[in-house]
Amino acid sequence: MKGLLTFITGFVILAFALFLAVITGDYGPWYFAWLVGTTMIVLISASGAAMFDRQDEELNQKGISSR
Amino acid sequence: MDMLINPTVVELSRLQFALTALYHFLFVPLTLGLTFILATMETVYVVTGKQIYKEMTQFWGKLFAINFALGVATGLTMEFEFGTNWSMYSHFVGDIFGTPLAIEGLMAFFMESTFVGVMFFGWDRMSPKAHLVVTYLVALGSNLSALWILIANGFMQDPRGGTFDPNTMRMQFTSFVGLIFNPDAQAKFVHTSIAGFVTGSMFVMAVSAYYLLTKKRRDIALRSFRLAAIFGVISTVGVITLGDALGYIDAHAQPTKLAAMEAIWETNPHTVSASWNLIAFPSRTEQKNVFEIGIPYVLTPLLTHSEDTVIPGIKNLEQDAKPHIENGIKAMIALKAYNADHNDTAALATFKQYEKDMGYGFLAKEFAPDQDLAKVNASNLPSVLDKTAKATIPNVWVEFWAFRLMVAAGFFMLVLFAFAAYYSLKNEIEKHPLFLKIALWSVPLPWIACEFGWITAENGRQPWTVYGWLPTFVSASSHSVSYMIFSLIGFVLLYSTFIAAELYLMFKYARLGPQESHHHGEEPAAGGGMAGKPAFAKSSMNRS
Ligand code: HEM
Repeated sequence: MKGLLTFITGFVILAFALFLAVITGDYGPWYFAWLVGTTMIVLISASGAAMFDRQDEELNQKGISSR
Repeated sequence: MDMLINPTVVELSRLQFALTALYHFLFVPLTLGLTFILATMETVYVVTGKQIYKEMTQFWGKLFAINFALGVATGLTMEFEFGTNWSMYSHFVGDIFGTPLAIEGLMAFFMESTFVGVMFFGWDRMSPKAHLVVTYLVALGSNLSALWILIANGFMQDPRGGTFDPNTMRMQFTSFVGLIFNPDAQAKFVHTSIAGFVTGSMFVMAVSAYYLLTKKRRDIALRSFRLAAIFGVISTVGVITLGDALGYIDAHAQPTKLAAMEAIWETNPHTVSASWNLIAFPSRTEQKNVFEIGIPYVLTPLLTHSEDTVIPGIKNLEQDAKPHIENGIKAMIALKAYNADHNDTAALATFKQYEKDMGYGFLAKEFAPDQDLAKVNASNLPSVLDKTAKATIPNVWVEFWAFRLMVAAGFFMLVLFAFAAYYSLKNEIEKHPLFLKIALWSVPLPWIACEFGWITAENGRQPWTVYGWLPTFVSASSHSVSYMIFSLIGFVLLYSTFIAAELYLMFKYARLGPQESHHHGEEPAAGGGMAGKPAFAKSSMNRS
């Protein structure tokens, strides 16, 4: 149940971000947005991967992980 | 200008270009996205020092290499096609259009291709940090390549930065900055580049899902899945945002494209309650949708980001075009007179008066008796106006559905990536084999979206090669039909071989999966340190 709520909250935030981006975006400075956006995507997904290793280590300590 | 144009040759030239472009774009988006995903994986390796990320970068790099090699081969032919099949187009806009293409070739493509070699063969020859810089340069280079091509395409959609010179009979540069910062080019670049990110993410996620389902290299698969899911979810939000911006820009620059994309036949003055067509079966002959499911109150804010902007329907746009066509015919006749005698200042003055509509005069050529505008007279004018006005509207059916399919794929992928990121962040992705199967089988979606995206962009621009200035009908070279059929068959055979080679190699190496060498305590070798050999040429063994 908690998981579902987290997912719904996450998805609502995503939909809201999309909504904001859509109503504000028309003749935007898109080249600049690309530079900022690409950097952001790279950094967030890199931290997502790094977080995987932390979670994995935690599980390892508990002796559950098989990775 | 006075030679009779054979419509079959024009249609065959269009078909050939469409096919080569669609083939080429099967390879491009993966290059655009996978390079940045490789750079991200390598960043984690350099920052954390964990070997597994190096191995991941090398494994996915191997699949990237296959795609890159074949992508380059299909791209080069297209640049030549402008000269061979579209010589009138090249003559008319070559000064402007040629510039970004040349910059692409000299700067971005050289950068990308030089560093791609260093990226594959440089693992053991430079420090990890230096190698990471190289990987970023490859990613940047391939996206810069796309940038210049899309600036060129942006000019075709919304010609800015150039003007027509009646003395040379070509369009000439007025502003380089105008060309580069064209709003259409800006949004188009970001939409396309990020569409590539979505493609790269889906590819990595789907192949990782396959490894998880078949229990192959879970260490690599789980990490790749995580990274791709997050990369994908943010990129999909980006692609949708930019898609909306592109639609908004189209609404201003290309009203005929917008009306076709949304199958709007009538202008609805009640902007607030106007319906947006979720589904429609447009009929060209009946000038209406024979079936439609609309959602009221959505159309105006969605397309114009306002409540009160009126969106002109197709029937209105056709009527609006008629005065432009009439003026355009006058402009073309005056231009011809001025060309015969450069001292004819009266002709030049008439041309200048109607210059902004000259494209419509060009367009009327196809429907004038013997394709000669001088033969348009009071009695045949209404029929020429009628036919030309109808020709200003692109194929509505194709436009409406190509756009719908791209958008549907976009929203489906958004939900898919959101679930994927969620399950992965909770470390429970393996508990959902059905979801993994869906992720695996969704792999073609970004390619489908990209292909339909290009159909939306290019079919929607018809009947123009350069919107409002140069019709497609007068842009082609005067080849013979047999030559066109012969070269078309040649291209289809050659490119089909490329696709077959790509699919064969991709399936083969993706199925084999990453090597397990580091599990035996060896230095991970996949894709790297093989001087003189392509990374993917090595044998790859796999344990599950
Ligand atoms: C809600 C989602 C989307 C919207 C509103 C949207 C909108 C658009 C529009 C309006 C065009 C035509 C551009 C023009 O007229 O020049 C276009 C083209 C294109 N779209 Fe989309 N799109 C969406 C999703 C996607 C997705 C998911 C992909 C691929 C992963 C994609 C890939 C492309 C490509 C490759 C083109 C052709 C190049 C270009 O014109 O940028 N689109 N899109």
